Order: sequence, then structure tokens, then C-alpha cells
Amino acid sequence: MSVVYALATPAAKSAICIFRVSGDGCFDDIAGLFGLDGFNPRTFYLVDMKNGERLVDRVGLILFKGPNSYTGEDSFEVYAHGSLGIMSLISDTFDSHGYSEAPPGEFTKRAFLNDKISLNEAESLSDLIDSTSSDEVFLSGSSLFGDLSNRLAEYSERVNLIRIRVEGEIDFSEEGEDFMDDGLLDDLQKVKEDFESFVSLCANKRDISQKKNILLVGPTNSGKSSIFNRLVGYERAIVTDRPGTTRDMISSEAFFETSVFSISDTAGMRKTDDVVEERGIEISLNQMSEADLVLGVFENYSEDMISFLEKTCGSNKFLSVQNKIDINKADVKKYDCCVSAKSGDGFKELRQEIASFFNETGVKNEKDFMVRDRHVKIFMSVTKNLEQAIQGLNNKKTLELVAEDLKNARSDLDELIGRKFSDSLLGDIFSSFCIGK
Amino acid sequence: MYKFDVIVIGGGHAGAEAAFSIDRAGLSCALITMDESKVGQMSCNPAIGGLGKSHIVREIDAMGGLMAIATDMSGIQYRTLNTRKGDAVQALRVQCDRDLYKKAVQKILNKTNIKIISEEVVDLIISKNSVLGVITKDKRYLSKKTILTTGTFLNGKMYTGRDVISGGRTGEQPSIPLSKKLYGLKLPMGRLKTGTPARIKLSSIDTSKMEDQPGDTPTPWMSISNPPKKHQTQLSCFITRTNKKTHEIIKNNIHLSAMYSGEIQGIGPRYCPSIEDKIFKFQNKDSHQIFIEPEGVKKDLVYPNGISTSLPKETQAEFIRSIKGMENSEITEYGYAVEYDFVDPRSLEKTLQLNSLSNLYLAGQINGTTGYEEAAAQGLIAGINASNNIKKQEEFILDRSESYIGVMLDDLTSHGITEPYRMFTSRAEHRLLLSQNNAQQRLLMKARKIGMVDKETETKFLENERKYKDFVEQTLKKTKTNYFINKKNTKTKLNENKSLYKLLSRNDVNEKKLFKTNQTNEKHYQRAITEIKYSGYIAKQLREINKTKKQNNKKIPKNINYKEISGLSNEVREKLINNKPKTIGGANQIEGITPAALNLILIHIKKGELLKENA
Ligand SMILES: Cc1cc2nc3c(=O)[nH]c(=O)nc-3n(C[C@H](O)[C@H](O)[C@H](O)COP(=O)(O)OP(=O)(O)OC[C@H]3O[C@@H](n4cnc5c(N)ncnc54)[C@H](O)[C@@H]3O)c2cc1C
Ligand SMILES: Nc1nc2c(ncn2[C@@H]2O[C@H](COP(=O)(O)OP(=O)(O)OP(=O)(O)O)[C@@H](O)[C@H]2O)c(=O)[nH]1
Ligand SMILES: [Mg+2]
Repeated sequence: MSVVYALATPAAKSAICIFRVSGDGCFDDIAGLFGLDGFNPRTFYLVDMKNGERLVDRVGLILFKGPNSYTGEDSFEVYAHGSLGIMSLISDTFDSHGYSEAPPGEFTKRAFLNDKISLNEAESLSDLIDSTSSDEVFLSGSSLFGDLSNRLAEYSERVNLIRIRVEGEIDFSEEGEDFMDDGLLDDLQKVKEDFESFVSLCANKRDISQKKNILLVGPTNSGKSSIFNRLVGYERAIVTDRPGTTRDMISSEAFFETSVFSISDTAGMRKTDDVVEERGIEISLNQMSEADLVLGVFENYSEDMISFLEKTCGSNKFLSVQNKIDINKADVKKYDCCVSAKSGDGFKELRQEIASFFNETGVKNEKDFMVRDRHVKIFMSVTKNLEQAIQGLNNKKTLELVAEDLKNARSDLDELIGRKFSDSLLGDIFSSFCIGK
Repeated sequence: MYKFDVIVIGGGHAGAEAAFSIDRAGLSCALITMDESKVGQMSCNPAIGGLGKSHIVREIDAMGGLMAIATDMSGIQYRTLNTRKGDAVQALRVQCDRDLYKKAVQKILNKTNIKIISEEVVDLIISKNSVLGVITKDKRYLSKKTILTTGTFLNGKMYTGRDVISGGRTGEQPSIPLSKKLYGLKLPMGRLKTGTPARIKLSSIDTSKMEDQPGDTPTPWMSISNPPKKHQTQLSCFITRTNKKTHEIIKNNIHLSAMYSGEIQGIGPRYCPSIEDKIFKFQNKDSHQIFIEPEGVKKDLVYPNGISTSLPKETQAEFIRSIKGMENSEITEYGYAVEYDFVDPRSLEKTLQLNSLSNLYLAGQINGTTGYEEAAAQGLIAGINASNNIKKQEEFILDRSESYIGVMLDDLTSHGITEPYRMFTSRAEHRLLLSQNNAQQRLLMKARKIGMVDKETETKFLENERKYKDFVEQTLKKTKTNYFINKKNTKTKLNENKSLYKLLSRNDVNEKKLFKTNQTNEKHYQRAITEIKYSGYIAKQLREINKTKKQNNKKIPKNINYKEISGLSNEVREKLINNKPKTIGGANQIEGITPAALNLILIHIKKGELLKENA
């Protein structure tokens, strides 16, 4: 069957994450992905995972030869660092190899189809069986697992508690019970607020993939390429002592401070009489407007060029970096950051400086959970339904519509968790209120 | 030897409605009941309708049943509940004169060709798993179909404190041989219980100390299709409350209550608790509401709604007399709990025909429901299906999305019951579609097709629909304005002229001030407001309905081998092999098929499809 991959661990920030890949021909890419020429099945390898030229992460790898695998097919597992950025990059890497993301239950399904397990053994499958009644048992795929799903279950329960009161007021309005005291609206408002702040902790995979762009600029020979290599973690750019080494812009991903960055090295600007060479300006101006952060790298202080750069890209996204502090004295007053690409001194600070720049400007916040478009869509629908219910209560809209909004919010949440909306509503009403003539 | 197309056993609300529908279908019908003077008797509270229930009554009315008409012939207080909520959950509740209601039912039945026979049925004539008729104490009657509607009478036992009397209702004998017969047939059966409060002389209570609760003005009708010309004299109900003293008396004597002494095993309804239950389960409440409801126009009797009990007579008298306005109560009949047999409704098809015996239908409280309306609706459905079957017509099954009756029958036959089943609006997931006011739009033409509704009623209905359409198209859509009055009663100017129809979809419009109605278009206007307000929600519900329908239509391959599906229990497997369902929806309708089993089948089908695809 076609190659599929899936994140086997929750899509949340954690120490490590595990990806599973299964399908005919998935070993064909082992050399390209992990630089392995041959391998022994069921052996742990520590390898660099690459997407083309780019390093993705240093990962653990175990390969299983079919039929001696969980699914019965050729398959492998990748153990990587558990940041959302890396998860997102690994998914991208698999996507670019034409693997498709497996819907929930797909691995168990394959195991079942290949007679590796009986239905009764398929515990996770039986969870699915209990939880969904749709004919798309395998193909549902909206559900979320792990911590994320526990959090959603909490919200589902909270919505339900409010709904009980609203439904009680509809079906038992004659009973002289006070179902909807004033606290109801406040409670509902609180649920909505809490849910929204929970949603803000969920990053859409697409947003994560939109990396934070950093551009290295500065005079020739100041050490831009050397800094670049250190930031991305390997000898990506050529370094020589000849000014004008770098001609075209090169970019690569880097991870530090739990984020992914896309860093670009540029050709150096030659300092001439008219300050900057024509060509340098052209490229830099274009690139600088695209970048989220511009790092100006200098060996020798040049007030002209720093102020020129600050002016062009705006001081709010420019950091000046002094390089080669192993041979020159660091001047912390004149520069935002002082480093040595040769010794590595100052890089810890530089990385922190970069990360805090992104945090402060709020370009991209750190998230706890990674979700997909389809989840985001349902989140939005939950929020909309809650908002409608609040509006309805505020405007004294007829209560049955408020009840409908709450019901819809709840069934959306339950869809995310992957369980069928279970309605024990009447039982809940009876146990909380004194009903009956 | 007598022979009828259909024999209905039991002249309660289910039986009356069943017999009436059979007569409408032009078939011969015998209604055999213990005492013909008790046909249409209200065993408990003399009221019809209420939340979730008026919906059912209107549905019965739309399908040519008699309940709404009998209600209007005897109604002495009409009150619309939930008026501050929207149309879908509003409900009309009618207090009836107990005797007049019974007489109304009898009057309606007497105009038909139904033969009413006062006898107790003691046995069924069964041959080769098929019911061929019934045996009374001294006669035999043959029939093509038999409908059993014996209510609370099967092995009925009434409890007041320590006293236990056999009976189905005060002063009426239980039905014991028939109960034994059903047990003998190995039907899945159980015991349920319900209770009723004492009855008190109106002249002995002081209603001036209570809150007065008059009915609606103008007085509405329950029946849309064919209400009588004139209302009965309208009366008020009254509201009073229990107090600390009442609760103390009950607490001190709780050990004497039949329900608390452990004598009753039957399960009672949680929404209709005895006063003992209310006080013990909700200790923090020191007062409970009681509705004092008149039993009739010229009757010196009230029904104190809210204090049903199985305490001994002395305790009943004591606690009742501790209640405001009831200090001098003269009790004419004491409250009691009644325990009776019921048949697990999962042994029925949605037509209410028993799975295991052909030609036998069960309807009413015998199926584990409670309430006149629930019983009547089942009587109607069983009657229609018995007739249709005789005439070799299609089964008559209502969907959950088109009626409360459909919701009830689906709940009963697929999930069974854990307590006496009563209708609530929240049982209907498509509640917004099912208003008490649109029952005719939902069901009338369906019933007309099978002859339950006469030409005249149909014409009247279609005429009204046409007028409504005209009103919307000609008046609401064509009348334009450049301002409106909002909910805060101030004027809002509009940039351009908008039709009233458009404006009604805004939240802030004061509908009353937007359009001045007259007597002929008031109802149309209200209906349009509701339809516009609900439209977004309804569209969503319709999408959902279509989705489930699609799922239910998923075909099960003819050559499916259920033995290959691991995880199915032997019982389920056997049922599937015997029933050979053609679709998932069909499998779903087989009693005992769980959602998990359905999923196993779906997975199995899917596996077949996938293997084919991947081959
Ligand atoms: C004490 C009590 C309290 C109740 N409380 C409530 C309440 O609070 N709220 C509520 O909604 N509902 C209540 N009910 C229920 C309501 O009365 C019933 O749900 C409804 O009447 C059921 O209708 P039915 O047609 O199924 O049966 P019934 O109305 O009980 O009619 C059964 C008929 O069958 C006849 N019959 C029985 N056996 C035989 C036989 N072998 N041969 C010939 N005829 C036979 C009887 O004579 C009777 O006429 C109560 C009922 C009782 C008895
Ligand atoms: N001593 C010392 N030498 C450095 C340091 N960083 C870079 N160099 C040297 O400076 C020279 C230029 O380095 P590059 O990284 O190629 O400089 P660049 O800015 O990319 O130059 P162009 O691409 O030509 O614009 C090389 O000889 C590096 O070895 C440093 O921190 N200390
Ligand atoms: Mg360079």
C-alpha cells in the first residue's frame, strides 16, 4: 500500500516525538533521508535526517522489514526532538517525498488488513469503534488524541453543564426550579474565554511552517557566512578570506530556543565612496523588506552603514552584530550583540537575542499544540456557537435557539475528540434538579 | 364464533385511538374492554398536553386521531407553556373534565362501526406462532390482527402504606390470566410503577389562600383539524406549596411508605417522583409546588398535582392538612402507587408488531411508556399498521426528524426503557423542526394518502397553506419600508427600502410594531416570524438529517458472511443471518444490534472494498 506517515506522539511540545512511516517502497528513500546505505532491521541508528540538502534534525531511527512489523509492511520509526517546529519540518520532509499523512487508525487498519491482528486485538481500533458510528470509521480523521483531547473533553463537559440548565428551563419550566440563575451567562462567558485562550495555544501546522525569516547583511568579509554556518549548525556556506566570496543568497533552517528560523546569507556590501555598491543595495533592499529580522554583521564599526541599514529596514527589525571578537575587542556599547564565529563566543546570547526579538514583537508565539486546518475550522465553529449562545442570552433570544447553539458547540467538541455525541441530558437534569409534579 | 378484521384489547387511550383508526381504514373492529363505561377513562391527572406532549396530540390530530377533539370537547382550562420561549418548545396544556373527556371519547367511538364489548380477555388463540384471535371468560373471537393495549392492568398491584390491593386502577380489577399468558409466551417482561395523589373535595379547601392560575385568553383549541363549536366553561387552577411541617410529617413516617419499605420492585419515573422521593432526594429544598386542578365543571373534586404518594392513609391526611389552604381537606380517595407488568419494547418492530408472534401488536403503557398522549400515539400507529398490513399496504413508520411520535417509537424499539418513558422536547434532536403548530404541515398529507384524513380536512389544510404562501409572497415580501422600530422602541432608519420579510431576519426588529396583524393573518405572521428566525438552524438540521439518511442507505453486500466477522456475539450474528438486512439502516433496526456491532459490519464491508481496491 502507499506510503503513509503519522506522528505517533501527541502533537504537543515535549522531549521527543515519534513518527511512524509504513508502506511499500518506504525503504527506497532511506539513503536520501538518513544517509544510510544499508541497514539491519530492528537496530537503532543515530543519524542526521535531511530534506534534500537541508538538515532537519539529528534523529533516532529503527527500521522494520515486512511482514515482521506492526502493519505487516516495510516501515520505520523516527525519534526526533519534540519541538513543534521539528514536527512540522519532518512532516514537510515526508510530504515532499510524496508520503501522505495517515488518518487516525490507519496503521491499525493496515495491520488488520494484513492479518497481523484480529479486530478484537486492535485495541485502538476498538476505541474507534466505540467512539464513532460513522461509516467512515477509518477515514474520520478529525479526532485528536492525548492531552489535547483531554483538554477538549473538559470543555465539552463544561458546555454540557450549562446546556443542562438551559434544557431544564425548556422542558421543566413549570416545576418552580431556578435553572438559569444569573450565574449562567457568566459561566458561559468564562467557558468561551477559556476556550479561546486554549485555542491560542494551538498552532496550525501551516502557521508553524511559516518560519521566522532572518537575513544576514553587512560588509564583505565581516564573517556573515561564518555566522550563518554556526547558526544552521553545519558548513552550509563557503567561507574564504577573500572578500566577495558569497555571490547569491542562500537560505537554510535553524532551530534554537524551541523555534524554527529560516536564515539567509547574502553577498557582502562593499563599502565604497558612495557608501554602498549599487548591486548590494538592490538585493538587500528587496530582501530586507521580506525578512522578519535583519542582522547587520560587522568586523569594523561603520556608523554610516549601521544608520543606513537601520533607516532602510526600520530600527524595530534590525540588530547590529560585531564579529571576530576573538581578535578585536568587543564593544557592547556600539553593537546589540558581540560574537566570534570562530570560537563560538557570544552565540548563546545571540540566539537568545533573536528568540526574544520574536517573542517581544509577537511575530510568532510559542504554542503548546499542533493542529490542522480541519481542527481550526471546528475550533472556529465552537467559538462561533458559544458566541451565538452568549448573544442569544444577552438579547433574550428564544431559549431553544441558545440550546441549539450549545448542542452544536458540544457536538463539535465531541467530534474533535472522536466520540459520538452521547446524550445523557435528561439523566443529568434529573440528577441535578427536583423535577416532577 | 365472531370474526373481525382487528380486535383491540383495552379501551384506554391507546385502545380508543387504535380502534378509531381501524374504523377509518374501513375495516371491522372489535374493542374488547373490561367495562365499556370506562372507555376513555383518565387514570390519573385529568389533563392533556404539556411540554413534549401537546406536540404528540397535534400530530395525532394531523393524522386523523380523536384525542385533540375529545380534549376540546371537555377542556376546562387551556394554558400555553413556555410562552417566553420560541415556537418549537411552546406547548398547550389542557385541564379536562374527567367525566366529559370519557364521554367525548365514547361519543366519538359510538358514531363509528366499532363494536365495543365489555369482557375480560383471558387468553390469546395462537397457532403456528400467529395470533388468530382472543378468548374471553366465555367466548372466542377471531381476527386477522390483534392489538393489545392493557395499560397498567397486567398483574396490577396498588399500594397504600402497608395495604396491597390487586387492581389496574382504583376500583378496577387487574388482568391476571393475560399477564400469565404473556409470561408463558416468554416475552421479555418487567415491572414498572407509577403513583397518584389523593383526591380532595374542592369545597373543603380554601383557594383564596392560594395563587390563582387562570387559562389563556382567548381560549385556544387543541385540535387544529376539527375543533367543536364551543368551549366548556373555563375554570382556574390554583398553586400552593408544601412547607417544613409537611416535610417533617413525611420524614417521620417514611418507613411506612410502600415505596420505601422495599415492597415495590418496579421502577418509577424520575420525572414524576412521589412526594416522598422529592423530599428525600432534594433535602435542601424546604418547599415544593403543588397545582390544585379542578376535576370537572360541576364537580366538587380537585386533583392535587405534585404530591403523589404511597404513604398510609392517616399520614396522607396529616401531611395534606399541613399545606396552606388545605387545612380542612376532605379526602375522597387516597393516593397509591401502582405496579404493573410491561413488555420490553425492543421486542417490537417500529410498526408495534411483536417480533416473535405474527399478527399481534402492542400499544400504550404496556410498552413501558406513561401518559395518555404517548399511549394514544402508539394506538394510532399500531392501528394504522394493522390496517395497512391487512390491506397489503406499506408499513407506516414516522421518522425521528418528522415527528415526536417517530422519536418515541425509535427510542422505544431501539433502546428500550429504563424507567416509564415520557416525552420531552429534548428527546428530539431535530426539535426546531417539530413545533406543535406545524404538525399538519409535517404529517397531514402522509396520513391523507392512507385514508386517515378525509377530503374536507385536506382541502381546509391546503387552502390555509395557500393563504400562508400568499401572505408571505404578496404581503411580507412586497411591503417595503425605509425604517423600523427596534426592540428598545426607537426608530431605526434604513439606507434603502427593505421588505418586511428581509427585516424580520434582523435580531433587533420589534416584530409587533413592524406589521399590524388582523384576525385572518395573525397566525400567518407568527408562523413567518418563526420560520425566518429558525431558518439558519433548520438548514443545518436538514443537512444532518441527509447525512444520517445516506449512512443508513449504505448497502450490505448480499454475499456478506457474518461468520467471518470476529467480534460479533453469537446472538447478534444469528439475528443478522436470519434478518438479512439490506442496508446499514436496516441492520440498525434489528433489535439488539449495537452501534459497536454496526461498526464491525461497516469495517468488514470496508475491508472487502479496500482489498478489492488494493488488489
Ligand atoms: C395510578 C396511576 C397514575 C398515573 N400517573 C400518571 C401521571 O402522573 N402522568 C401521566 O402522564 N400518566 C400517568 N398515568 C398513566 C396514564 O394513565 C397511562 O399512561 C395511560 O392511561 C395509558 O393508556 P393505555 O391506553 O395504555 O392504558 P389504560 O388507560 O390503562 O387502559 C387500559 C384499558 O385496558 C383494559 N384492559 C386491561 N386488561 C384487559 C383485559 N384483559 N381484557 C379487556 N380489557 C382489559 C382496561 O380496562 C382499560 O380500559 C398513571 C396511571 C395510573 C394507573
Ligand atoms: N578571527 C576570526 N576570523 C573570522 C571570524 N569570522 C569569520 N572570520 C574569517 O573572516 C573571513 C571572511 O569570512 P566570511 O564568513 O566568508 O565572510 P563574509 O562576510 O561572508 O564575506 P563575503 O561573503 O565575502 O561577503 C574568513 O577568512 C573567516 O575565516 C571570527 O569570528 N574571528
Ligand atoms: Mg560570505
